[in-house]
Amino acid sequence: MGPLTARSLPRLAGRAVIGVVALLVLVPVVWTLMSSFKHTVDIETTPPLLFFKPTLDNFLYVLERSSVRGALVNSIIVSTSSVLIGAALGLPCAYAVARYPTRHADDIQFFVLSLRFLPPIAVALPLMVIWLDVGLYDTRIALIVTYTLFTLSVTIWLAIPAFKQVPREIEEAAFVDGYGAYAIFFLIALPVAGKSLIGPIVFSFVLVWNEFLIALMLTTSDARTLPIVASELSQLGFDTPWGILNASVIVLSLPPLMFLGILSGFLNSSLKRKT
Amino acid sequence: MVVLGILALVPTVDAVNIALQNRELSNPDSQYVWFANFAALFSDKRFLNAIWVSLIWEILTVSATMIVAIPLAVLLFETVGPRARNALCVLFIVPVLLPRVSAAYVWKFAFHPLYGLAAYPLKLALGRPVDLLSDPHTAMASVAIVDVWQWGLLFSVIIAKLLETLPRQPLEAARLDYARTWEVHFFIAIPMLWAPLVSLVFVKMVESLRAFDLIYVMTRGGPGVATETLDMYAYSQGFIESGRISYASSMAVLMMIATSILFTVIWKWAR
Repeated sequence: MGPLTARSLPRLAGRAVIGVVALLVLVPVVWTLMSSFKHTVDIETTPPLLFFKPTLDNFLYVLERSSVRGALVNSIIVSTSSVLIGAALGLPCAYAVARYPTRHADDIQFFVLSLRFLPPIAVALPLMVIWLDVGLYDTRIALIVTYTLFTLSVTIWLAIPAFKQVPREIEEAAFVDGYGAYAIFFLIALPVAGKSLIGPIVFSFVLVWNEFLIALMLTTSDARTLPIVASELSQLGFDTPWGILNASVIVLSLPPLMFLGILSGFLNSSLKRKT
Repeated sequence: MVVLGILALVPTVDAVNIALQNRELSNPDSQYVWFANFAALFSDKRFLNAIWVSLIWEILTVSATMIVAIPLAVLLFETVGPRARNALCVLFIVPVLLPRVSAAYVWKFAFHPLYGLAAYPLKLALGRPVDLLSDPHTAMASVAIVDVWQWGLLFSVIIAKLLETLPRQPLEAARLDYARTWEVHFFIAIPMLWAPLVSLVFVKMVESLRAFDLIYVMTRGGPGVATETLDMYAYSQGFIESGRISYASSMAVLMMIATSILFTVIWKWAR
C-alpha cells in the first residue's frame, strides 16, 4: 500500500493539472460557441448563464450582412487560389531540392525559412505602395499574388522531407523504363509522396486563411477578407454586440478547425520522422 | 526558386527605397530625404516606447511559452496513457489553429469586466468589476496569456511527442538508480532534447513578432501606449493617424535589419 500511494499521488496531481489545462482550452471555446446562440439579454447577465433558449439570430445577422458575405467569398477565393498556385509551383521546386541536392541546398532552406523572419509590416508597407502604383490595390489579385509568396515558401519548406522519403529505387526503375524527369515527377514521385503532401498544403491554407496584417493593409473595401471584417464588427454602433461577434468568430474558425485531424496527423508524422 | 527570390527581394528593396523618401498616403509626389526619417525616429518617444514594449513582449511570451510547455509536456508524458495522450494532443492544438482574430475575441469576451467568464471570479473576489485589458498594468499580461494559450499548448504537444521518440534505456537506467521522475526529466530527458528545444525557442521568437493581430483586436496598442509594439506603432503612423508611409517604412526597415541580424546570429550559434 505504502509505495503505491507514494507513486500514485503525484500522478493524480499531474493528471489534475492536465485536466485544468484541458478545461482552459475547452471552456473559452465552448463558451464562445454557446454565446453565439444566445440572445443579447442572456449574454449580458451575471452570473454567467449555463442554460438558455438558443437562437439563430446572431448567425443569421452575420451571414446576411453583405460585408461578411463578400468577405467570405474573398477569403475562399484568395486562400484557395494562392494555395493552389503555391502548390503548383512549390511542389516541383521542393522535389528538385530534395532530389538534386546542390551545395546550396542548405542555403536555400535557410533562405525560405528566413522569409518568415521578415516583420510582416516590412513586407506589407512596400507591397501596399507597389499595388497602389500598379493600380491593383484592394483587389483579390493583389492579395493572391502576395499570399502566394507565403504558400510557396511554406509548401517548399515542408514538402522537401516528404519527397526525400520517396524511395529512390522506384524512380530509378522508372528511369530505366524510359521515363523522363517530368514523367517521373508526375507519375511516380507525386503519387507516392501524395499523402504526406496533404499536410503542408493544408497548413499553407490555414496560414493564409488566418492571415491578418497584410490583408488589413492591402485592402480597404472590395477585397477585404473575413478576419478583417470580423475585426471590424466590434466597432458596430455603441455597444459591442457580443452575440454577433461570437457567431462571426465561429464562422471564421470553422475552416481551420475542419483540418484539425489532418494537421495533428501531419505534426505527429513530421516529429517522428525527425528522430 | 528565382521567382521566390524576386518576390521576396522586391518588397525589401522597395521598403528601403520608400524609407528614404518623404512619401505620404494623401500625396503621391515625394522627394528623397535620405536619412531624415531615421534621425527623427530616435528622438521620437513613442518609437522608443514601442521598442521597449516589443522587447518586453518578446521576452515575456517566449519565456512564458517555454515555462508552460516543458512541464506540461513532461506531465503529458508521465501521467496519462498513450490513448488519452493522443486525444489531449489533438485538443491542445486547437487554440493555435484558431485565427488570431478569433482567439483574440474569445479572450476579449472572457476578459469582459461585466459578463466575461475569466473576469467573473475576479469580480466576485474583489467585489467590483475588473477590466484587465484597459488597465496599463495588466493589459500586456492579459494579451500574453492568450499568446501562451495558443503557443504554449502547441509546444507542449510537440515536446511530449519528442519525449516519446527518446530512447528508453538512459531514462530507465536513471530510474533504477532511484532518480525521482522530475530528476530523470530535468537532468536526462530535457538535455537530450536540447537541439529541438532551441529550435522551438527560435520559432517562438519569430512568431512572437507576428502578434500584431492579437494586440490589434484586443487592445489596439492601448491603454495609452502600454501595448504598442513596433508594428502597431508603424501601422498607426502609416495609416490611422498620419498616413506617413515613409516614416512607418523606415521603422519597418530598422525592424527588418535588427531581426535579420539577430536571428541569423542566433540560428548559426544554435547549430
